Amino acid sequence: MALLHVQDLKTYFFMRGGVVRAVDGVSFEVERGQTVGIVGESGSGKSVSCYSILRLIDEPGRIVGGSVMFDGEDLLQATNSRMREIRGGRISMIFQDPMTSLNPFLRISTQMVETLRLHTDLDQRAALHKAIAALEEVGIAEASKRIHSYPHEFSGGMRQRVMIASALLTEPDLLIADEPTTALDVTIQAQVLDLLKQRQERLGTAIILVTHDLGVVAGTCERVNVMYAGRDVESGTADQIFYDPHHAYTQALQKAIPSLQTKGDLLYTVPGMPPDLSKPVQGCAFYPRCPYPKLAPPDGPPPELVVLTEGHCAQDCQYCDRSKPIEDVLTSDVTEAFE
Amino acid sequence: MTDAAISERKETGESGPREDFLVLDSVSQHFDLGTGFFGRGSRGVIKAVDNVSLSIRQGEILGLVGESGCGKTTLSRTIMQIIRPTSGRIFLEGKELSSLSDREVRHERINFQMIFQDPYASLNPRMTVFDALAEAIRTRHPGVRGTALRERVVELLRLVGLSPAQMKKYPHEFSGGQRQRVAIARALAPEPKLIIADEPVSALDVSIQSQILNLLKKLRRDMGLTMIFISHDLSVVRYIADRIAVMYLGRIVELGDAETVVDDPLHIYTRALMSAIPQPDPRIERSRKRVILKGDPPSPLNPPTGCSFWPRSPIPHDERMKVVEPELVEFHPGHFAHDCPFCLQRAA
Repeated sequence: MALLHVQDLKTYFFMRGGVVRAVDGVSFEVERGQTVGIVGESGSGKSVSCYSILRLIDEPGRIVGGSVMFDGEDLLQATNSRMREIRGGRISMIFQDPMTSLNPFLRISTQMVETLRLHTDLDQRAALHKAIAALEEVGIAEASKRIHSYPHEFSGGMRQRVMIASALLTEPDLLIADEPTTALDVTIQAQVLDLLKQRQERLGTAIILVTHDLGVVAGTCERVNVMYAGRDVESGTADQIFYDPHHAYTQALQKAIPSLQTKGDLLYTVPGMPPDLSKPVQGCAFYPRCPYPKLAPPDGPPPELVVLTEGHCAQDCQYCDRSKPIEDVLTSDVTEAFE
Repeated sequence: MTDAAISERKETGESGPREDFLVLDSVSQHFDLGTGFFGRGSRGVIKAVDNVSLSIRQGEILGLVGESGCGKTTLSRTIMQIIRPTSGRIFLEGKELSSLSDREVRHERINFQMIFQDPYASLNPRMTVFDALAEAIRTRHPGVRGTALRERVVELLRLVGLSPAQMKKYPHEFSGGQRQRVAIARALAPEPKLIIADEPVSALDVSIQSQILNLLKKLRRDMGLTMIFISHDLSVVRYIADRIAVMYLGRIVELGDAETVVDDPLHIYTRALMSAIPQPDPRIERSRKRVILKGDPPSPLNPPTGCSFWPRSPIPHDERMKVVEPELVEFHPGHFAHDCPFCLQRAA
């Protein structure tokens, strides 16, 4: 059985101006030791999905449906005290900006020891000892001295290392990493991703990696979930998503990003912008931006996720004519699409 | 690129646009931190930009790449004379900017326009798009008003792919990509000679990025814009720039044709930067070998002596290169790199 099974998760934000359906029916599985990537643009619901797993949604947000089965236990039904045991114990999370999740007034040692005292029965001395060892393992020199520093005394890359060390202290089964390298320079990003992989191999931790960078996904993830406007539009193994993308959004996105191999004059563009989620989406959310020729107005229910091949699902959209390859319908147009 | 192609480029360059449009001659920007308590001892000097020489052709896009803190932004601010260089000279179309008085510089500055990473921070939230563009147009043509002004605003909006119907809107009514279009229109309004784009697409979503990159490329083609494009993302720079300058700790360590620098880099730092960029292709990612650099970039306060890259280089340097500062040497026509024998080694 999968370690984590998220089924039809729905998280809505009840704003004064209406209901924002930030996550609207997301399902995925994570096996032990596996790395699953969640990709999508800002506002596509990738972070909210992750926060929902740990029930870290504040008012006016509410998880309104679905289930999150973690090792046979539905986290959405668990008591608050049970959730406190799980957060930081069996499921850890790291964020884009480590400065916001480390307390600037407390020494690193205080923060790391506190985690260990809370989730294990180690005493003060043993906990400090273990924390120092953890810092050494993420490559922090003179860890026994540096552990008594404050977060601001570390550089950005070092701080992210400290975060990783703290998150893995309790040897969690699942690590949720929300854009862990977005704020870092590419050279430091390579170091941090390398480190995450190394630690994962040693501890057998499963990782959910949230990112907007398809390059990071290609290098680290076994499975990929592509999200658009609060829903999964496609999921599969990294190879299926990159070499045999099915959904128009997945296809267009890959054509639009420049890589070191990109030749030629202009890039393909995806016209327009993501939809406003406070308005109900009719049919396919990608319809207004879809480069394929339109067949019918999108007034039905959202397209169903269908299984294409073993482990590869995508929304089966019937509103557009998808008979041609995506290259033939994409343009390099630079004008805005006007409604 | 073949030598023939390079010489062909040079020829067309000589006959048409001027080669020495913008020239930087040993430009340095040092920040003195002053003396310590009771004037005792110096707290040091930050060498944000150190001895940079460069020339930019008219109509060219020069990509400036490097990690945060390498001096990319300081260099661009020095070019615009927002901070006057500590030493060295800067010429625009043969006119020496670095010797002008503050007053003359202010007058000269309409020839430079900047596009920033966050368009929200660079647009006045209380000005409509029309007001913002009109103000920018009037810096060049103070007398324009009425229909002529309106027509010019409409033309600018069309140029950046926005609908003229949107000119009465305020910045917050636009999406990130549209706002960046407005910022580009405003930068074009005073008909600048040089545009400096500082990470213009870094804050945008991937599907919006390509819209803005294409727009900049098209504007360059149609209007012959000269641009310095600053970014930490080599794949973006490789796509948009004609030439790439790679900066490390305030110095240029490699400079050359965009394609050559990316496909056949000389300096190990460029190779490390390149290998650090994750490629959206799982097979490439699984098979590639990374040049992983040690540690963080050193502080520009008390930078290492000699070849500044030695503390992070995977290839150990000898004592001489830890003292002797390498020069920027032309190894192939138009392709320069810091002449450090260890950093230029192939097998890494």
